[in-house]
Amino acid sequence: MFDGLKLFLDQFVKLSEADYAQLKERIIVKQYLKKEIMIKAGETEQHLYFVAKGLIRQYFNVGKEDVIIDIISEGTITGSVTSFLTGAPSRYFMETMEPVTVFALSKQNLEELYLSHNKWERFGRILTAHFFLEQERHILDNIRLSMKERVINFVKENPDLVLRVPQKHLASYLDIKPETFSRMKHLLFDSKRNKAGIEN
Amino acid sequence: MNLDFKNINPSHLAYAYSYLHRFMPMSQEELAGLIPYCEFREFNKKEIIVNAGEIDQYLNLVVKGLVRKYIKVKKNDKILQLATEGHVVHSEISFLTRTPSLVILQTMEPTVMISLRFDKMEEALEKYPHGERLGRMILSNMYIKKDERRYTWMAKSVRERFLDYVTQHPHMLQRVPQKYLASYLNIKPETFSRLKHLCKIKN
Repeated sequence: MFDGLKLFLDQFVKLSEADYAQLKERIIVKQYLKKEIMIKAGETEQHLYFVAKGLIRQYFNVGKEDVIIDIISEGTITGSVTSFLTGAPSRYFMETMEPVTVFALSKQNLEELYLSHNKWERFGRILTAHFFLEQERHILDNIRLSMKERVINFVKENPDLVLRVPQKHLASYLDIKPETFSRMKHLLFDSKRNKAGIEN
Repeated sequence: MNLDFKNINPSHLAYAYSYLHRFMPMSQEELAGLIPYCEFREFNKKEIIVNAGEIDQYLNLVVKGLVRKYIKVKKNDKILQLATEGHVVHSEISFLTRTPSLVILQTMEPTVMISLRFDKMEEALEKYPHGERLGRMILSNMYIKKDERRYTWMAKSVRERFLDYVTQHPHMLQRVPQKYLASYLNIKPETFSRLKHLCKIKN
């Protein structure tokens, strides 16, 4: 059950079996149904979540519209990060798009890990860099790539998500109007063209 | 051009001190312990600090002057950051992942920066007391600011973006040409002029 978590952490920092045991003691397994809200805007984020199974979207409301800033699937860590770091109310909602299993780590438990060993401090720094990079890449891609390139890029990097993410959510995440997106749908499934069509 | 530490203006060091002090209370001596890892770099106006395609070697704190970070989209420059005294600026993805930069960094005024080279950062993370913690705090702060900015861009109206910015940074209207501010706020130049007029902002 914890294999995915181990795989994720291994790319950041070398942890011993004892380190993993120390982490597991502090983790709570949580399960959510499809379309369940994990956090609402205005609430304070108390946890970071490793996604063991399922699919989550993170968004804010403008009027009646949801603007999606992140789509998170198995194998990575998420949470309403700014709220978690500052203790201020979250701007964002997190809602499941499939049944979800997460390993939740509370702020207090994370702080205890940080204090226990410099190795965990190192992990914390690299994890923060990871959050930062994901955020910056998404912002830059939506600025520098054309709409067509954004769709092709997404398919290339997340082939497994194409059929799982509802298209209106994908359109919002890629900052494309739904009516424009529906004209680009063929790009989602035309894999030969995708391979030839993008250079970066 | 690199400057000798002895020639550094104490008020420039004060920016470094107040920047770091927010994250970790530290004495003057502890701050002095970080100086051997740093370089003080001086640039003329309109100098390119990092070009697209280069690997950014430095994390910089601006202690004097103004740096713009931008990306070329087709033929337009899209401004991503306007960094003044006390702000951290660099090509983050390039620096952290050692890949060619997508963005360009250029001075808009004569500028002095305290810079930490990538290899020196690695060394400081290991040797400087609580280096990892300090590194995490700096990155957290960068994340929070970027998140704030993205939210402003995407959730606020043109008018709100304009008013929020000029209220919080009144001096920037004097320091930065209008077209750059408009690009940074993602407002059309003609709309920016109209808003300035409507809101009776003195230039």
